[in-house]
Amino acid sequence: MSRRRPWLLLPFVGAVYIGLLAPLVVVVAVSFGPSPNFDFPPHGFTLDWFAAFFASSAYVSAFFRVSLVVGLIAGVLATLLGTAAAVGLVRFRFFGREALETFFLTPLLVPEILLGAALYLFYARLRMPASIWTLLWGHLIICTPYVIRSVTAGLVGMDPRLEEAAMSLGANRIQAFFKVTLPLLRSSLLSGAIFAFIISFSDINLALFLSGPQSTSLPVHLFSQIQWQGDPTIAAASTLQIVIIGLLILIVQRVFRLRLMV
Amino acid sequence: MEGQKARPIWAVLTGPYALFLVLLLIVPFGSMAVLSLHPYSPTKIALPELTFDNYRQIAALYYVRLFGRTLQLSLVSTVICVVFGYPLAYVLARARPRMQTLGLFLLIMPLMVSTVIRLFGWIVILGRKGLINQALVALGLDPVKLLYTDTAVVIGLVNIFMPFMVLPLMAAIERIPPSLEEAAQNLGANWYQMFAKTIIPLSLPGLVSGCLLVYSLSLSAFVTPALLGSPRARMVGQQIYDEVLVSFNWPIASALALALVLLTAGVMFFALLATRRATQPKGAR
Repeated sequence: MSRRRPWLLLPFVGAVYIGLLAPLVVVVAVSFGPSPNFDFPPHGFTLDWFAAFFASSAYVSAFFRVSLVVGLIAGVLATLLGTAAAVGLVRFRFFGREALETFFLTPLLVPEILLGAALYLFYARLRMPASIWTLLWGHLIICTPYVIRSVTAGLVGMDPRLEEAAMSLGANRIQAFFKVTLPLLRSSLLSGAIFAFIISFSDINLALFLSGPQSTSLPVHLFSQIQWQGDPTIAAASTLQIVIIGLLILIVQRVFRLRLMV
Repeated sequence: MEGQKARPIWAVLTGPYALFLVLLLIVPFGSMAVLSLHPYSPTKIALPELTFDNYRQIAALYYVRLFGRTLQLSLVSTVICVVFGYPLAYVLARARPRMQTLGLFLLIMPLMVSTVIRLFGWIVILGRKGLINQALVALGLDPVKLLYTDTAVVIGLVNIFMPFMVLPLMAAIERIPPSLEEAAQNLGANWYQMFAKTIIPLSLPGLVSGCLLVYSLSLSAFVTPALLGSPRARMVGQQIYDEVLVSFNWPIASALALALVLLTAGVMFFALLATRRATQPKGAR
């Protein structure tokens, strides 16, 4: 690694990171600034916008009663569905296995805005009113492939002889799975669950179509507040989301290979 | 359950999600395709007879221009992502593990934050009194209108989708042995010649998947043009959103959505065909 690399690469690298991080830095800074006009850099320090966030029933409901609830349920259900699917795909050989594997990853290729529109029209024709459940079913479609991906990676990297050893020592297949395989899959399960939560928690494209008046998710509420020129409460709510997601990604990076997740 | 072996365990395991996808992905898109063949009715969603009228309608100049603009903005964003993403992908691929971990964290963390929040940051940066115009004024220059222009839309698309360019490129470059780089340089190539003749041809598959991801994501972008673009210069995603939720013309919305799916699939098909041709060894180059 002693070869010289041209310095010309660095401005590009710097520009990409500035472009990715500057908006987040600006949002966090604005949320602590006293000016209601989103002045950056802020002149002073205040927690007023966070107080305004917790005082606003619309924000609190969008954050805690919709986004957090849907995200957590989606995380748990996607982990169950995705783990079962990944075990079925990796541990068994059957006709059409590869086609099924491809089918399970298609939600990642379908444009989200079109999936949202298609689901909205579908629910409308079934006369199902928008609720946190309509949102949740939509999120499960796009969250589960992330669990499948991480659990598949975990299973492929595991020695199948461990399970066989347990079985030769008298455990049946189900006992072997729950006592040997599952504990070893801990970190890929955790990463998959966290990613499923994050995908649901930060989704806007599906939620724009599937949120109703009683089930407005945080990103959708922020979207309308930005369009109606709201105040830096937007920034305060955003800062909370950035902190939560940042911490969760740090956990994934600690326990799993982050790059396998995207 | 325990004594007799239930044969298709795999079906029990994969069944639930498969059923889910059929019910909530295949059926909705299928019924959307059917809806696009019915004429619009202001009172009853759609009339029962079958027609290609909706597709004839979206062949009108207004929609053709809309698709043209969308293709153009997506293409520009993809090209800029290549120019800025390649150097970063190379640096990350050849970085020491610790630096690579940090670099990936800083790349993926913003990707996971809601698009709305990242675009809100860009509104503050690009606004009339935003960071860029403050800097221009401080330098004694005139402020420029950035927000609510195509420039802002491209800046938004590039930054939102950049990680989808960098990650596949990085994976492709990592698979190229560093010894090849050294060999090229030992044989007298300078770094840029080495990059052009070694890295780029060998990482072509990564480049193609990165471009396809960024291009197709941009084609269906909605939030970015809605928040950063001018209301008079829109993209297809916004039109679909309006037809569904504002004018309730669901047959036209379905036709537009299907046209977008077909367009995206067409682009992917030709890109893959072209790479297959380019990567096939056809004599020395």
